[in-house]
This record gives sequence, structure tokens and C-alpha cells, in this order.
Amino acid sequence: MSRRDEILASVKSVEAMPSAIQQALALLRDPDADMHELSRIIEFDPGLTANILRLVNSAYFGGLRTITSVREAVLRLGSSQVFHLLIAAGVAPRLRKEIKGYGLSPGMLLENSMVTAVAAESTARQLGFTAPEHTFTSGLLSNVGKIVLGTFLEVDAGPILELAEAEGLTFERAEEAVLGVSHDEVGAILLEHWGLPEAIVYVVRWRLKPDEAPQEDLALDLVHVGTALASMTGLGLGLDGLNYRPSRTVAQRLGLDLRGLELALARLMDDLGEVRELFA
Amino acid sequence: MANIVVSISDLKISQKPGDVLVTYSLGSCVGVAAWDPLTRAGGLIHCLLPLSTTAPERAQQNPYMFVNTGVGALLKALFRLGASRERLVLKAAGGANMRGEDPYSIGARNSAVLEELLARHGFTLAASEFGGTIPRTLTLFLDSGRVTVKTLGEEHEL
Repeated sequence: MSRRDEILASVKSVEAMPSAIQQALALLRDPDADMHELSRIIEFDPGLTANILRLVNSAYFGGLRTITSVREAVLRLGSSQVFHLLIAAGVAPRLRKEIKGYGLSPGMLLENSMVTAVAAESTARQLGFTAPEHTFTSGLLSNVGKIVLGTFLEVDAGPILELAEAEGLTFERAEEAVLGVSHDEVGAILLEHWGLPEAIVYVVRWRLKPDEAPQEDLALDLVHVGTALASMTGLGLGLDGLNYRPSRTVAQRLGLDLRGLELALARLMDDLGEVRELFA
Repeated sequence: MANIVVSISDLKISQKPGDVLVTYSLGSCVGVAAWDPLTRAGGLIHCLLPLSTTAPERAQQNPYMFVNTGVGALLKALFRLGASRERLVLKAAGGANMRGEDPYSIGARNSAVLEELLARHGFTLAASEFGGTIPRTLTLFLDSGRVTVKTLGEEHEL
């Protein structure tokens, strides 16, 4: 078995998503589904319900509305937005643990993922775009492959870093060279395994290599820039550090110049405090 | 004695010998530590961006966000505590860049603006560590003026 196959096989052993989220995902895949069913599924899980209500009543996600039930949230924000918040609330706890292989102490992976998600949306606002609904959740999930690959990096981080330094490679290219697979691809495969929507899987799969993506995609471009901004802030960075390459093509496509990037960074810092509290 | 955390776009000053000022997660940002050996007054700033001209209204709200407005604020705060410009020891770290030809080079610009600003006002950095693609944690110990940089779990003197 190659190293790549060994890693991909280990994806299946990652703990499944909470049951309410699995049911919601099944609902989403069913073209005949009644989306009112979504609120019923969430309401069966009191912890998740409380988390969702916290999110939809926040200034960041809900715009300071007073929403007292999941049913009302679905009605006022739309089932699609509630669905994405549901995934965010469900996955965030998985991102809290220590990932030794990447030198991430507890909470750091979640921190970097939150910063990426907020940065993607700050960039959209700075440039006057409406970020697609799955942008935040895609950003939050963009690092999820590190959960799987972390175990392997406990052994192989040294050679990966040395290769990146010696040949000026980005971290994901060095991962590919040493392990046969990189954390972005593993993340996409894990999310596919969990049954997440293709739109999210697509962003996670290509966010470090947007120039190679088969199709242009606004959420992908935003999460790509969000990843770069998150690296620049230094927040929640592990041993991969800033070893990622921002795409000039994406910058041009978005019309993001240096000033726009600096203003997006400043804006990111405004929003981060609230989002951090929501996922704390 | 307290560990005082300096967050992004933040400045902390202390004159208590037991205090330790620390800023985590310097990516492209620059951190500047300043310490006066006589008064043992010290400060640490963590600047996100190089120049306030990018967003003057933000610089009004928070001058610490920018190198050109923040570092002056750090020095003035220490002068008010009796520090002198001749004695002040300045050390700085951060300014990392993305891999490859980083089209934005915020890190390189942050460190360049800092060095230019200090030179223009007759200050020199006693030590600095800029660039690369690594995040850094910068710590100033008020009792001795010791400054350390921690990166990838390894800590060393600056």
C-alpha cells in the first residue's frame, strides 16, 4: 500500500458528523425533500439548536434580529443559510483539538479556520461582492484535512519542511512530494466522505491551487484570498507557516490590489472578535 | 508579575520589573520591543500594516494598527515614563512573507517602513529578525530587557 493509499484509507476512520447534521445532509441531497423538515431535525438536538440560535442572533450572521426558534431562523434567513450555519456549528468542535503533526496546540486549527472564513467574507465586502452563501462554511472547513494528515506529519514534517525550504516549494506541494497527497486534497475527500455539498468540497479541494481548478468560482477565489490573509495575520499558524502562494490570476479576477488587500485585512480584524466568541 | 498579551494592532507599556510583554502570531505584522535600562520602562507593539495613508480614519481610531503611527506612539509613551531616546534599546521581529513571489509583500513592506522610519528619526535596531515564511512570537522581559523570539516551538534570544 502506498503512503497515499494509506492516508486516504485513514479518512474513513475519522469520526462521523453528529447525527442531526447527517440527517440534514441527507435532506439536502433529496430533491423531493421538504426543507421545513430541516428545523425539525435541528430541534431534536438541543445543543445544536442553542448553537444555531446563537449564530443567527449574532450581528455577524443575523444582523441583530431576534430569532427564538429554528423554524423562525429558517423562515427569516432561508434554509440554505441555516444549513450552512448548521455545518459550521457541527464541525467547529472537531477543529478544536491539538494537531501535533502541524505544531498546532488545542484551538489553533479552529482559530486559523475562523480567520480564513471571516477573511474570505471581509474581502468580498471590501470589493463590493456578495459572498456566496457557502463561503464562510467553506473557509471554516478549508483546513479540515490537517486533522487526518496531522497523524502522518508527526513522522514526516521534517522532510516536508526541508523540501519546501530547499526547493522553494509551497507546503502543499512538498506534502504531495513526500506523502503523495496534500492536506487540501485529503480535506476534500473527507468532506465528500461526510456527504457535504459539492460546492463546499470544490472550494476546499482547490483553494490552494485555484489556477488549476476546472471552473472559475467566486467562493473559491474568496477563500483562496482568505487563506492568504489568514496566513499574513499569523493567527493559528502551525509549522506550515506562510508557505502558501497567493494567485495573481485570482487577484486580477477579483480586482484586488494592494490597497484593497490591506483594507480587507483591517476589516477582518473588526469582525474577528465577534465570530471568535460565537465559536468559543 | 504578569504575562501581558499584546494582540494585533495593540500596544502595551509597563514599568513593573516582573512583567513580561508577549505578542503571539506575528505573521506579516511587525512587533517592536523598546526598553529603557535605567527606568526599566518597556513597551511592545504589534502593527498589522505599514502606512496609515491606506486608511487614515482607521489610524485615528487605532494608531497602533500601522507602523508609521504606532511606533511613534510606543516611543512617546516610554518618554512619558522617563525613558530617554539615547538609552532606549529597540528590537523588532516579524515581517514574514508568503512563499514565492508574494505579490503583496506586506511583511517586507512592514519591515522596510519600520527601518526607514527609525533611521529618519535617528534610531537603530539593536537586533531584528525579519522575513522568511515563519510565524513568530516576540517576548520582552521588563526586569532585564531580554527579548526572545519563538518560532516552530524553538525560542532564542534576539
